[in-house]
Amino acid sequence: MVNWPPYWNPKNETLPKEQLRALQLAKLQRCVARAWQTSPFHRRMYEAAGVRPESIQTLDDIRRLPFMTREDWMDNQADKPLFGDLVTRPRNEAIRYHLTSGTSGRQPLRVLDSRKDWSWIGEQWCYGFWGFGVRPTDTVFFAFSYGSFIGFWGAHYCAEKIGCLVLPSGNMTTEGRVKQLVEMEATVVCATPTYALRMAQVAEHMGIDVKRDGKVRRVIVSGEPAGSIPATKRLIEEMWGAKCGDTAGMTEIGTIMIFECDKQPGGTHIIEDHFIEEVLDPETGEPCDYGQRGERVVTSFGRGFIPLIRYRTKDLVMKVPHTHCSCGRTGDLYEGGILGRVDDMKLIRGTNVYPRAVEAILREHPEIEEFQIVLTRVDNIRDEITVQIELRPGFPDADWAGLQSRVGTDLADNHEGLRFNVERAAEGQLPRFELKAKRLQDLRNQ
Amino acid sequence: MPESNQRDLLGHPMTADERELLDLYRRLQALSARDDLPPCALMNARQAMVMLWNACTDLDLIFEEPERE
Ligand SMILES: [Zn+2]
Repeated sequence: MVNWPPYWNPKNETLPKEQLRALQLAKLQRCVARAWQTSPFHRRMYEAAGVRPESIQTLDDIRRLPFMTREDWMDNQADKPLFGDLVTRPRNEAIRYHLTSGTSGRQPLRVLDSRKDWSWIGEQWCYGFWGFGVRPTDTVFFAFSYGSFIGFWGAHYCAEKIGCLVLPSGNMTTEGRVKQLVEMEATVVCATPTYALRMAQVAEHMGIDVKRDGKVRRVIVSGEPAGSIPATKRLIEEMWGAKCGDTAGMTEIGTIMIFECDKQPGGTHIIEDHFIEEVLDPETGEPCDYGQRGERVVTSFGRGFIPLIRYRTKDLVMKVPHTHCSCGRTGDLYEGGILGRVDDMKLIRGTNVYPRAVEAILREHPEIEEFQIVLTRVDNIRDEITVQIELRPGFPDADWAGLQSRVGTDLADNHEGLRFNVERAAEGQLPRFELKAKRLQDLRNQ
Repeated sequence: MPESNQRDLLGHPMTADERELLDLYRRLQALSARDDLPPCALMNARQAMVMLWNACTDLDLIFEEPERE
């Protein structure tokens, strides 16, 4: 047996903070210089803001650089199809093309990557997989569709690089996936949190107890904030009989920038030798202190084809010092992972409602298999919030009234007394998701 | 052989293993830029080069775009 270290990169993952900052500055300076030289989009943006590569003398000078937004990127690609002039190299030097999932009817972003970029993308996942205890002897099952959405692609290469036995399940049904991961004795399962729950529920319907019949010891989730909601995570852990670890990334950087380590400190470590993660007040752009909620603004050091410097993500996070975890990593943490989107909050009759908070409450009731939140406006004036609930098969009808009342009380107690309508949906009525669950419908302006 | 007085991005002297990794990366990089190698040699050298790029980048030995991949 090899006595592996707990870190993928022991040198940088335990680097003292001031050295980590020096490393980030050296990388930032070179990144900005390269963007200036090779991306006309960045050159224009920096010239308009009156900054040059030499302006970056300290890490705080990052604040002199203008933000880049998704809208800037979309506009640039619309003006100069297909890829805009923010790409640093000709298309024939790329080896891979991906698209963002294009939610909310927006035009998807197109991304190109080089051979090196893809090896770097897999490398970031290695920090996360290794850190959560994945080793060469593991058998890793990917419940993922392997399409144009970047999803777990990088994680697949990471697992191969580590030397795991990889089980891709692109075109399989949920039932087929459950059978295969049990038969092949998968020890690690990768899915969205929603789909990890779904697979365990389908297994139950099939008469398979994944806890008893399977060998899964780690569930690695990504793609939705729910991976760090304690009640959701606990439910996944109970159903699978395995530790559940959260990761988060985005197509714009191609990979993950945060992961939960094996100590499960209730948050995700930032990979600080490959990214600068700023947390800013979304209104003023001023930096938030540790423990304050704000918007993630990311600078990536790895993607050569598309420089990503001070990109506004609209992800809501709360940074805490690395000392909140006992693993020895010096990368700070996002407590609770990605908390949602800065524009997620809904105002209902004067009360703030966050979909994540509603999910956290509903997941405390394991009888609930699936749910939807529906916002409507009655008589053009009064907003109503309704939670539709689908129960686990076999739930006794006689118990519904009691559950309905308990859920309604829990929701109201956590929302300044706001009344939620709680309705029962028929079995199989509500949508199920493999990626990017959409559990909120806002019908108020229709 | 790689020089023994090399330093990483943080100014620390490189270990013997780090110098060897960096040397391998540089040699693969030189092969990757050739245009007279058979495809089986060139493309596999490029694939290997980007893997060594990761090891050298993670260990703070380099920070650069390899460009010829
Ligand atoms: Zn940790």
